[in-house]
Amino acid sequence: MDVNLEPRPPKTSVTDQPRLQPRTRVNTEVWSWYFMRISGLILLFLALLHFFMTHILHDVVETDAAFVAGRWQNPLWRTYDWVLLALGLLHGVNGLRFIIDDYVRRPGTRAATKAFVYSLVGVLFLYGTITIVIYK
Amino acid sequence: MSGSVYRGKSGQWAFMAHRITGFLVLMFLLLHIVDVSLVTASPRLYNEVHDLYGNVFLRLFEVGLLGALLFHSFNGLRIVVYDFFPGAIRREKEMLALVLGLTAVLTIVGGYVILYPFFFGTTTH
Repeated sequence: MDVNLEPRPPKTSVTDQPRLQPRTRVNTEVWSWYFMRISGLILLFLALLHFFMTHILHDVVETDAAFVAGRWQNPLWRTYDWVLLALGLLHGVNGLRFIIDDYVRRPGTRAATKAFVYSLVGVLFLYGTITIVIYK
Repeated sequence: MSGSVYRGKSGQWAFMAHRITGFLVLMFLLLHIVDVSLVTASPRLYNEVHDLYGNVFLRLFEVGLLGALLFHSFNGLRIVVYDFFPGAIRREKEMLALVLGLTAVLTIVGGYVILYPFFFGTTTH
């Protein structure tokens, strides 16, 4: 007699199955939708104020290494810059995900494009984070 | 866009412009992470690379960045307004005109300050 001792997945009716998959997907996209709006509203202030300080209040030439050193003496400015970095990259990479889904139609190419973009953004996020944290 | 179902209605142009400006701002952010991170490796190297931003071509690029940032911000805000006040869609043309107007005015004012050193050799402050 052939006895299978492997734990079995809980019994579900056939009609349950197609529902479960799309529903989690929709939840992710709803979450992404809210994230774009909330992060967008925050970024509007963070990014425009950052640009105002480094290009209008100060000329761009004045924002040299000494300027960075003075600014990053204050941990609040480091936090500000890190939040701008993190939210900017997440908002940007999620937007780029929509663009890739719209224009890169072949599944293999699409997966490869996303893998490249996510890796590049991930590496630069780590690089930027390390810079903000370790700078003395 | 060839093959696009939509043909140049204002909302479709705003949608494309939102994508393009968002993409450009993200590309600049990626570059900006690299150039700022030079400050840890070598402040002198950071300063050498950073001096390039004072070049007139890069100043023009900065005005473009400001325009992209302003358009993406105000147009994004317009989209959020529709989400909370769906009735505002009936004023779509006026809302978009407001977005473009604010973007243009603030880009011109900011551009004046950014390009001022090139024309007059001194900053505005």
